[in-house]
Parts: sequence; C-alpha cells; structure tokens
Amino acid sequence: MGAAGSKLEKALGDQFPEGERYFGLENFGNTCYCNSVLQALYFCVPFREQLLEYYANNKNVGDAEENLLTCLADLFSQISSQKKKTGVIAPKRFVQRVKKQNELFRSYMHQDAHEFLNFLLNELVDILEKENNAAKSSPETSSPEKVPNGPRAAVANGTPKEPLVTWVHKNFQGILTNETRCLRCETVTARDETFLDLSLDIEQNSSITSCLKNFSSTETLNAEDKFFCDKCCSLQEAQKRMKIKKPPYILVIHLKRFKYIEQLGRYKKLSYRVVFPLELKLSNTMEDADSEYSLFAVVVHVGSGPNHGHYVSLVKSHNHWLFFDDENVEMIDESAVQTFFGSAQEYSSNTDHGYILFYESQGSKS
Amino acid sequence: MNNNSSSSSNNRMSSSLGNVQSPGPALKTYFKTPEGRYKLHYEKTHPAGLLHYAHGRAVSQVTLAHLKDKAAPIAPPPSNTSASSGVRLAAARLLGGGNGSRALSFVGGNGSSKALSGNSRIGSMGSSSLSSSSVPSNYDGKGSYLIFNVGDTVFISDFNSQDKDPIKSIHFSNSNPVCHAFSSESKDGHDLLIGLNSGDVYSVSLRQQLQDLGKKLVGAQHYNKDGLINNSRCTSIAWVPEGDGTFVVAHADGNIYVYEKNKDGTGDSSFPVIKDQTQFSVAHARSSKSNPIARWHICQGPINSISFSIDGTYLATVGRDGFLRVFDFSKEQLMCGGKSYYGALLCCAWSPDGKYILTGGEDDLVQVWSMEDRKIVAWGEGHNSWVSGVAFDPYWSSPTSDSSEETIVYRFGSVGQDTQLLLWDLEMDEIVVPLRRCPPGGSPTSSGAQGNSWDNISPVGTLQPAPSMRDVPKISPVVAHRVHTEPLSGLVFTAESVLTVCREGHVKIWTRPSHGESHASSSEAVLNMNAKDSKISLTASKVGSSNNKQ
Repeated sequence: MGAAGSKLEKALGDQFPEGERYFGLENFGNTCYCNSVLQALYFCVPFREQLLEYYANNKNVGDAEENLLTCLADLFSQISSQKKKTGVIAPKRFVQRVKKQNELFRSYMHQDAHEFLNFLLNELVDILEKENNAAKSSPETSSPEKVPNGPRAAVANGTPKEPLVTWVHKNFQGILTNETRCLRCETVTARDETFLDLSLDIEQNSSITSCLKNFSSTETLNAEDKFFCDKCCSLQEAQKRMKIKKPPYILVIHLKRFKYIEQLGRYKKLSYRVVFPLELKLSNTMEDADSEYSLFAVVVHVGSGPNHGHYVSLVKSHNHWLFFDDENVEMIDESAVQTFFGSAQEYSSNTDHGYILFYESQGSKS
Repeated sequence: MNNNSSSSSNNRMSSSLGNVQSPGPALKTYFKTPEGRYKLHYEKTHPAGLLHYAHGRAVSQVTLAHLKDKAAPIAPPPSNTSASSGVRLAAARLLGGGNGSRALSFVGGNGSSKALSGNSRIGSMGSSSLSSSSVPSNYDGKGSYLIFNVGDTVFISDFNSQDKDPIKSIHFSNSNPVCHAFSSESKDGHDLLIGLNSGDVYSVSLRQQLQDLGKKLVGAQHYNKDGLINNSRCTSIAWVPEGDGTFVVAHADGNIYVYEKNKDGTGDSSFPVIKDQTQFSVAHARSSKSNPIARWHICQGPINSISFSIDGTYLATVGRDGFLRVFDFSKEQLMCGGKSYYGALLCCAWSPDGKYILTGGEDDLVQVWSMEDRKIVAWGEGHNSWVSGVAFDPYWSSPTSDSSEETIVYRFGSVGQDTQLLLWDLEMDEIVVPLRRCPPGGSPTSSGAQGNSWDNISPVGTLQPAPSMRDVPKISPVVAHRVHTEPLSGLVFTAESVLTVCREGHVKIWTRPSHGESHASSSEAVLNMNAKDSKISLTASKVGSSNNKQ
C-alpha cells in the first residue's frame, strides 16, 4: 500500500495540493458501501471543514460519550492529520459504531450506499439536535425525548416552532414544495418538505437534466388516486407537481437504479445510460436563481445485480479527479467520468454505474 | 413468477429475462412532418463481430464524400469552376452538417507542384501509381461515399448502393481514428483528413484508398507524427473552405493547429510555452518550413467541435468550458461568443447564409446563436439527453410560405444521446419579436449588469456569460423521432435524405417526403430492432415532443 501511495504522489508530482491527504480505506468485509460514501463526504470540503471545526470545539468537553458523529469526526481528523500524503487507513471504530447503531448494516451482506448515506446524515442531525437541546438547559415545555423523531416530522406537520438548523442542514438541506391544484375549485394547496437528497426515477438514454424535469413534471391525480380537497370537502381530480423552493448548497442526487419488478418479485438493477454533466443548473426552482452546481463526487455501483457487487467513488479535489476503490487511490482523467454513465444496451460488459451524485453550488453563499 | 429458467420450453423461446420486463418498443421506419413522411431507406453498418467494448470511447462520426469524375491529368477545362459551383456549394452544405466537424469544400489547386519528397510519406502519390486499369472496379468516375470510424478502423461505404456492408476498411495499428473530413474540391491531391486519438493526423486521397485492395492507409502524408507536436487527442478536423489546401485540427488540450497539406514539416515545429492557459493566443511557427504553420490556444480543456462558415471567413469552436467562440480566421481574431446554459458544448454548425450558428451540449438544449446580434436568440427544448449533433437543412424550403415573404424560415435538425432525431423550424420574426418586448414584469433592475447587457449588442471580441432561463425565447421541435437504439453522434442532410449515425457506427438513411408520396402508404411496417431497452424510452420520446405521434 505504501507503493500505491507513492505512485499517486508521483502522478501528482509538484501539483500535489498543499495540506491535502488522499487515503484509501480498508474494507472489513463488504464495507465498500461505507467507504465510498465516506470518501465523497470527506471531499465535500465545507462539510469536512465544519465537522473538523466541530470536533476541535467539542473534543475537550469532558469525555462525551462516543457516537456516530464523534467517530466520523475522529476518522476525518485522523485522515487530515496524517504525516504522509497518501496511504491507507482502517475506519475500524466508525464501522463498528455503524454496526452497533443500526442492525441493518450489521451483517456482512451487500448494503445500499444510498441507504447508508441517508442513515448517516439523519443520525448526525439527530445527535446535533440532542446536543443543542441539552446545551439549552432552560426548562422547555417540550420534552427533549421527542426529538429523536426529528424536526422533519415537525416541519411536515406545520408546527410553528422553528426547527433547529444545524451545519449539516446548512450543507445538505433543501426545501421542496408540493403543489396540488384541485381541478374543480382551482385552489392550490402547497406543502413544504425538506430533503437531504433527491431520489430520481431514471429512463434509458436520458440525462440528469431530463430526470429532474420529470421529477418536477405535472402529475394528474385521478381515478383511484384522487386528492382530498379541503375546500370542496371531497375527493377531486387534481394536478400535482414538485418544485424546489430552496435549493441545497450541496445537491445530492440519488439515481433509482434498484427497481422492484413486480413480475419478477424482486429488485433488479437498471443499467440505463444516464448522463450527468460536470456542471448543472436547477431550472425547476421557484425563483429562477439559475445558480450553477459543480460535480465533485460520484458513488459508483459496480455489478449487475442489486444484492451483490461493489462500490467505488470518483472524487474531484483541487481540479484533479481521483478514483477511490477501498484501499486503492488513483488519479483519473476528467474524461474517464463518462465511462460511468451506464449502458445503452441491457446486457453489457460495463457494469460500473454512477449511483449517487454530489454537486456543490458555485454561488458562494450558504 | 421467476421460473423462467426451466419451464420456458413453451411457446415463448425468446422471452429471456430482459425481454419479460422490457419488451423494447420497435423503432418505426418512418416519421411524419408537416411536409410529409420521411422513410427509412436503408442502413449502413460495419461488419458484425466487432466487440462492443473494443469501441471504447471512440465515438463514430460520419463524413459524406462526393468524388467527382476524375479530372483530366493536365489542365482542367476553365469552365470547370463555374460548372461545378452548384455542386460545390451543395457539397459544402452537406458536409458542413453533422457535428460541425464535417469537411467543407475548398477551391483551388493544391501544391501539386511542390516537392513531394517527404520522408513522412507512406507509399507514393504520383498519378502513375494509380494504375487504374488493373483494378476491376477502378473508382475512376464520380461517386458518393460514407466514411465512418469504429474502434481502430475507418470504414468506407458506397452511398449509392443499398448494400449494408462497407466496401473498404482501413485499420490503424497505432491509435484509433476519431475524426475525419473531406473536400470535394481538392484536385487530384489529398482530399481526406483523418485525426487519431494519439494526436496524429493523416491526409490521403480517397480515390486512392478505394483503388487499393489492402487494409492499410496508402499514399498518406503524416502530420504531428507520434504526437510529437501535440500528443492530446484530436477532437475535430476541417478543411479551410477556399483555403488552398489549408486545414485545421482541434485537440483535447484546447489547442488548434493550422496545417498546409503536402508541406513537409522539416523545420522547427516547436511552439512557445503558453503563458496564460485562460487566454486566447496565436503563435506562428518559428521556421517557414514548419508544418503546422500556427497554433491557436483557444481555451482550457478540450475543444469538442469546430466548424467553418461556408465561405471560410469564420471559424466556430465549442468546448468543455461551455463556450462557443467565433473567430475571424484570416485575421486570427476572436469576434464573439457565449456560454451555454450549463455544461460543455459538444457540436456546432453554421447556417448556409452564415447568419446563425447552432450548438448543442450537456444542458440538453439546442442553441441558436445570431452573428448579427452576437448572442443566443433561441433555445430549442426537446431532447431528453445531451445534444450531440446539429445541422441546418440547406435543401429545405417551407411548403406553406411563398418565397416573396420577408420572414425567412430555417429548417434544422439535431440528434442526441436520447437516440432521437429532432427537426426544428426557425422563423426569426416569430422569435425575435417576443424577445425584444421581453422584459416581463419580473425582470427589474435587480438582474443587474447582465440583464442590461442582454438587450445591447456586446462589443466585438467579448464573450457573453450564460443567459438566464427567462432571457432566451424557447422553441419546440416540429418532430421528434427515435431513430436508433443507441445514443446518436451526428446527422447530415443531403438533397434526398437525412443521415443519422449512432455512437456505435450504424448509419441510417431517411429519404425525404417526395411529391405524391406524402400520404400514408402500406409500407408502415414496423422494424423490430430487438430493442433491448424498455418501455421507458417510449415515454422518453413522448416527453420530447407532443408532435411526435400525430
């Protein structure tokens, strides 16, 4: 592994970014779903910096009990403080903690990287909220025991209480507006929902732009699926559409490549070719802000089926693209990113498909 | 339900797992437009057995080449120029299509009087070596040929024959051919250019390739040998129209090189180091014996496509950075240009009158750039993926409007990675007017400098930032048709047809509607292409346009 590290160092030469560390992560038996997501998050620079800042501010506060947040912060600071520029690290404590926390990830079976990312971010949010509530030792009427249910439920219920906006929210959270227009009385009902990532249905030979357009396209609710209009006090036909009210600073797009096929009674991987540009704008937003996003990480699923396979990640750091495959780190050309789009034919030797995309807003406000 | 392995001995032999879930929608062999029905006439492809993974990242491009009757070896008749001018213009228009990388014609003798003693020359070029009598089909006469690259091979097909297979294949052992261009005006000299992944460039005589029985390039002049001058991938190649044998090659590192055909690069071909990668700069060769004669540094990152205006005055480039740039070629000056909505631009093409440039790219939009206004005047929405080829249809005339009307209607086509061919009508009056009275209630002063500059013509030599969504009028396609099962890479208009080519190197020829045949015919057979992709693509084409199934 030392040799591999020096190879990367050689490839980068004097272009090796000052203070940056490129470390592979050891695999403890099917933990590539974890490693690939960790690399994407590590190279999400605002997230990493805020996590390290949090770690620096909190590590001296007594011997706070270990949780997923401290384990992640530990791991990131361990990587960033390495003397060597490249190498391999074993994220042992972090993985143990994940398995302890969630029995889903306890087995040695192949896991879903998106599920893991979702679990991790929500867990971090919960921990931060708990700490915030604990710090606010003022006797609140609302019992802090309720917090683990999360503020997302609170927002959805329209509770007037201001939800806590943590630095995790500031990075990843966006707001969707679900607009439903009753076709009888024309009343528009708008409901806001927060999200940490967007899960998109995909089509063969399409683009992310097109998938986003479909996500926001108008859908008619009729027949079995009518809408209860509060004004008409009855079920009515309606038109529904999703708009992005507040775009997130870090836009995480999950491609729904694992689809339940009823005829087969099981999940199937869709190997569709879905092209993703290195720059993206959201045009389905409420205010036409037209702010540009830049792709900085891709979690790739390797394999033909949903229950087995491998995860790797592509990461852009200081204008270089890097390929992380557990312990191995390599430099790749930007044009190699397009080999992970998927295939136009159903059966293809290419089984490496972009699965989770990470875009960072280029508008420098968060 | 998933017992398809053992109990499938019944009637449905072909119902493999994939087919059960995704009965591929058959590709239709025709599509309707207001002026009538376009029909799939025939197809061209490469021999089966080429492994798909071997294609790698080399995307097939197609060039249409018209060989003329072989000119008399001595002085061509003086009337030749005028007699052929119609053909020349037509050919120029044809070849100017596609990804913008098509060859454009050029006039004039090449340096046939120059010494041809170069050591980089493979084989010989003299007319004596053509020995046409010994070859059964001697390819001495005129003909039209399709040139397309697949993997490590360039294939040549006879365009006038419906035979699916190519008549000639040329293998490259060193690197994959990735772009090519043809000029029908090149007299008895080299008329075909081929650029490789390694950066190497060849010029050859197409006729000589056809007459040779081997599988190697013959009589080639080799430029940038082994990528000595520039080892980054060739991305696009073009003859300079009326350029007297001058051609340009675009590379993946943002540089363009200008070459003179038949000139041996014996002199010092090194160029100074580029001081500022972000700035446009032109460097001329230090030695007069050098070939290339000049290097243009255009941008950071790959140039994806280049296209000359028909008369050769302007050169348009598009690239990874999302900018269209238009240069005055002889003055070596940046004239104008602008940014895509987002993402890289992949293709560009000029209107026959030089007033408009089409571009397509990773924002799924077809852009119409006006040379007069020096800005984007329309966005075509309709593709469900990246736009990989654009071209004006120089043969089309509106069936509804008579020519006395003042409004000019342009017809153009685009192809995308969504496997669709889209045809568009561009009526400039309809588009420009709403733009001028555009500021809707919601474009106050807050849009700032960009908003103000939008209505004014930007000064020469400046690049426009990406426009915002509301600033650009949108147009919808006349027709959207799924023509292949694979992502497309280019299209070419001819007098009788539209050609589409997919990335894997299959070419389809769609004949234009002919008079009296525009009504429905019985040949509405649906071509079952064993499409492996699912019903999804059917919905994809539905999204593309409401007009596609009338």
